[in-house]
Amino acid sequence: MVIQRFWLVVGCCCVVAACSQPDEQPEPLRQGLVYCAEGNPESFNPQLGTSGTTIDATSAQLYDRLIDYDAERQQFEPALALSWQALDDGKRYRFELRKDVEFHQTQWFTPTRRFSADDVLFSFNRWLNPDHPYHSVGGGSYPFFNSSGLIHLIERIEMIDSHTIDIHLAQADSSFLANMATDFAVILSAEYGTNLLQAGTPEAIDRQPIGTGPFRFVEFRKDISIRYYRHENYWRKPPGIRQLVYTITPNANKRMLKLLTGECDVIPYPLVDKLAELSTDTEIEVQSAVNPNIAFWAFNTERPPFDQPLVRQALAHAINRPAIIQTIYDGNARLATGVLPETSWAFSEEDQTYPFNPERARALLAEAGYADGFSMSIWAMPVQRAYNPNAERMAELIQSDLARVGISATMVTYEWNTFRRRLANGEHDSVLIGWVADNADPDNFFRPILSCAAKESGNNRANWCDPAFDQLLIDAISATNRDQRVNLYQDIERAITQAVPLVPIANSLRFQAQRADIEGVELPPYGGLSFRRASRVQEQPQQTPEPAADAVKEQP
Amino acid sequence: MIRYTLRRVVLFLFTLWLLTLFLFSLNYFFPGNPLTNMTGIADSSSEAYRLAAEQRYFGGTIIEQYGGFLQQLVQGNWGQSLVTERPVFEDGLTALGASLELSLLAMLVAFVFGAPLGIYAAIQQRGLLDRVIMGTGLSAYSIPVFWLAQLCILLFAVKLGWAPISSQINPLYDVPTTTGAILIDISISDYEFKQAALRDALHHLWLPVAVLAIMPLTMLMRITRNAMLDVLSHNYIRAARARGLSETRILLRHSIPNSMQPVVRQLGLQFSMLMSNLIVTEVIFNWPGVGSWLVKAIYERDYPVLQAGLLMLATLILFVNVAVELFHAWRYPQVRKELYAEH
Repeated sequence: MVIQRFWLVVGCCCVVAACSQPDEQPEPLRQGLVYCAEGNPESFNPQLGTSGTTIDATSAQLYDRLIDYDAERQQFEPALALSWQALDDGKRYRFELRKDVEFHQTQWFTPTRRFSADDVLFSFNRWLNPDHPYHSVGGGSYPFFNSSGLIHLIERIEMIDSHTIDIHLAQADSSFLANMATDFAVILSAEYGTNLLQAGTPEAIDRQPIGTGPFRFVEFRKDISIRYYRHENYWRKPPGIRQLVYTITPNANKRMLKLLTGECDVIPYPLVDKLAELSTDTEIEVQSAVNPNIAFWAFNTERPPFDQPLVRQALAHAINRPAIIQTIYDGNARLATGVLPETSWAFSEEDQTYPFNPERARALLAEAGYADGFSMSIWAMPVQRAYNPNAERMAELIQSDLARVGISATMVTYEWNTFRRRLANGEHDSVLIGWVADNADPDNFFRPILSCAAKESGNNRANWCDPAFDQLLIDAISATNRDQRVNLYQDIERAITQAVPLVPIANSLRFQAQRADIEGVELPPYGGLSFRRASRVQEQPQQTPEPAADAVKEQP
Repeated sequence: MIRYTLRRVVLFLFTLWLLTLFLFSLNYFFPGNPLTNMTGIADSSSEAYRLAAEQRYFGGTIIEQYGGFLQQLVQGNWGQSLVTERPVFEDGLTALGASLELSLLAMLVAFVFGAPLGIYAAIQQRGLLDRVIMGTGLSAYSIPVFWLAQLCILLFAVKLGWAPISSQINPLYDVPTTTGAILIDISISDYEFKQAALRDALHHLWLPVAVLAIMPLTMLMRITRNAMLDVLSHNYIRAARARGLSETRILLRHSIPNSMQPVVRQLGLQFSMLMSNLIVTEVIFNWPGVGSWLVKAIYERDYPVLQAGLLMLATLILFVNVAVELFHAWRYPQVRKELYAEH
């Protein structure tokens, strides 16, 4: 009998020990923040990709740009450049650079000098100049700069003195500054580049990154986590948290549970309605922000039968978009009337889309010679994005709509990075994907996704290249008068409606959920997340002065 | 005993050899280039690829290639992952550390709680507590692990907030991974917040261990009870009672040691079952062990990792089973006699 009692006591002790929580949070927890990301970044250099996951993980955390865009005041703000001016009728821009900017110091790199014009030259020439030693490192493809036309727009960059540079443009371009302020135009360290070349390991520049941003890179374990520490010598006010960890949690349901148990402090793309059911208290806050995005269904116009506009129009008529929006977005999205969302200044109320009409769809199919239908694949992306929280479900709905006009569709999906690679190769018939604008210029909705340059860089999901359409795009960016540009963008919308390389589906809000004690993680309308101003609100400090909080203030 | 040990060891090695043969042939059955499947080097024009082809005798016959494969395997050169390009052997070792920690703790909990409960139930045979213990045991045994894990997560983590639901430790504790077993890693590191980290790791550990332990615990409970009942019905127990030995003494000196014999034999089998549950548990709790590593490799068609995961799990199961059998034969002479058919 004695033995049994003994075990009972041991059991109770174990349970109690396991359940009892420490009263005071240990320092790493008070001074850190966990962000549960939806996927792995492709690399640690935003120049190399366009995926939102990569941008959220790297751009605003590790790097700075020459200028930033303040969406609230709708104006550009100085960042690494103190000031800038347009010269020669907008064909030359002069940037005065900041002198007090330190690069990250890590185990693998100790900077010997501060930020200067050399670093700007290095960073820009990497994607601009095919002869640059780093141009082909990391694949040599710079999709954003290709598709936004920056590669052709910038003729050369000239160093005037150690902290002044001139950028010479081929022609005046109204979207130049907007592109400079995007998350892709980051500044790398030229010194680090040189060191790596000498060491013979240039690939490390995108894997063990060095930048000037508010956080420095510590480690990345694929599918597990990314760890950043505060950059103590950051030129702005250093962040309020010492450590920032991204844990990779692709499953939306698990992300939500981890937010509820406090393992995540901030999560992207929450299941909003489910979260409301589960969290009865005030621990969780859900933020939503207008997001300049568009979800669309793109056809691979190089593959028959999608090379025929009639077939594409038929498919546009065949799907019931209002029903899709009701099911997928639960009222948090607006039926798209064109490619441009409501938030753009070039938006017009005129509905440019095809209404749901299966009879008309069947008639058009018959006219195109496909009276008996055909079979096709719908690629659905495996991750949640602001513009589409559930592409796989959407694909199923479209599948059943298509079945009614005699088309049998199958759904295809892969792991996100594989998915994007195969899309770029053009292996799809059609794909459900979307686009989030990087800047406020309406041009960003067309050139990066529908131009011939975008097709070459593998970002044109429709593989659609029409020289006449490209000319329209060029006319629109060359114009300087805003009213004139609004009209030109309406022409562009009409051209898309005519040719239907893609069917616009919805513009939606972007959501983010966080624990109530986190402050300063705001959802910017353009570009990726930034944790620069993030901090943890301390609950009623038990012991008077918090040593950790003081340390923050002492920073220069 | 020597003869028996030799026989077991030879059988173990033979099975391992068959396993390597199987893994080797997988490389040729998987789609794609066999050398890429083996080493994870995708770029066939690289220097590394050329070197690997040389090391593995890819110019030679299939026998030579197998020889090269075996040689590299023994040297711990298991290639790199097709997805992460990290060395498979190193990653595998830390994954194995994490898995071993979880499974050994679960096995320990199962034994420490299962055996006494079974003994208690046997003493109270047909009593109320016996019925309660065996009833709960049977129902717990019939719940599949993936379901049990989800229920536990909902109750203990989400509703009560007693436990986190994923990984070994809060990622904000920056503890370097050396063995993969988190408790050991924390103990050997010179991390500043050791105490807090250790508490946090235990906080993460208890729920997956409990979930994983339930199945072997209930099994051991039933086996122990039956073994105990069997022993208690023997004449020598009755004789001991007749000689006036106290119940505690009979229990401690006679019935428990003797009833442990079939229980020990079962440990190996229970461990094998534990391993299949381990995979499920690791995936659900995002535990960075061999199970979740293997499942991920299957999803991503990462052949070098897939082979390594298979090899590790299979070797572990084989090894534990042989070890248990050897211990069993060494500890209980009567078993040995049966084996050698001596009486």
